[in-house]
Amino acid sequence: MISSVRLKPLNWQPYIAPVELSEATPEQLNAMKVTPSAKKVSEYVRTLVHDPESYLARTILFNAIMYVEGGLARPDRELGALGASMVNGCKFCAVVHARRHAELTKSDDVVTALYLDEPEKLGPRDAAIYSFARRLSAAPSEATADDIATLRSVGMNDAEIIDLIHAISIFGWANRLMHVLGHAETGK
Amino acid sequence: MIDAMDKAAGISPDDALFTARRFRPEFVQGAEECRISVLHPAHDQGLAPILRVALARRMAALNADAALLEQYDTQLAQLDPTEQLLALARGEKDLEEPLATIARHVDLITLTPKRAEASHIALLAKAGLNNPQIVALSELIAFINFQTRVATGLRLMRSA
Repeated sequence: MISSVRLKPLNWQPYIAPVELSEATPEQLNAMKVTPSAKKVSEYVRTLVHDPESYLARTILFNAIMYVEGGLARPDRELGALGASMVNGCKFCAVVHARRHAELTKSDDVVTALYLDEPEKLGPRDAAIYSFARRLSAAPSEATADDIATLRSVGMNDAEIIDLIHAISIFGWANRLMHVLGHAETGK
Repeated sequence: MIDAMDKAAGISPDDALFTARRFRPEFVQGAEECRISVLHPAHDQGLAPILRVALARRMAALNADAALLEQYDTQLAQLDPTEQLLALARGEKDLEEPLATIARHVDLITLTPKRAEASHIALLAKAGLNNPQIVALSELIAFINFQTRVATGLRLMRSA
């Protein structure tokens, strides 16, 4: 009997100096939606806001993809994000989205299976989502029409599959920021 | 009206997928605004759109995305690129600095993001890139890798 995997949150440390709030331009402050007197803006946000235009556009898209109402269930989006983060080697993102999946499903079973590298223990729907996430995240992509057929066979409609494609793809993006511009450290 | 993503995925307005994509107008509009923010930003941080399009073409090739590659080839041709930028776009490695360092980084992060380390960011700084340029370059790399995956997924939906 293997006990379940419970992940602790990690801290993220940037490789470059983040923007100091006291030195931020009005455009940067607006992108972060904060006033100069705000105390707590994460180092991640202050690092990415070096380029406020892309920061703002990406944040809006990211939030829509991960949190928009209806369509693909939230845990399924988190599973797509987790599969992508594992392929792309972003430990920080993987832990965040593994924890969120466990919270949303009130179960550590899926996360445990994945962290112990036992994907065969997943149910058919989770297995189809996880496999597609891994294959689409390869560079170049290794996903095929068979993966889409498998997603349809476990009951996913086109709107849900489009949501899943976006959840996986936005982590092809986020992982290439978090794991490239900084690194994860064990939480304090 | 079709956008860059429809074009990359080969979707026309009478396709069911064209309508299915519009079930999420925030994804359609969001992806288009992101595309502009990394390829044709109002403030380019000293990384000109022509350099960005050349790099996009290089990454489309690394992802074996023929449709995106054609899109970026067309855009690049319209910008009257130098021989160096064409070589960069074609995936060549023997380039002037800082293009050689940028190209090595783009190839590494596109193909093997797992291998990224602090030293790779230090190399960009050593080649003369400042922090806003390092971030802008990272967002461009990350966006193209997002774009090719959405386009790939949509193409697979059409063929499945």
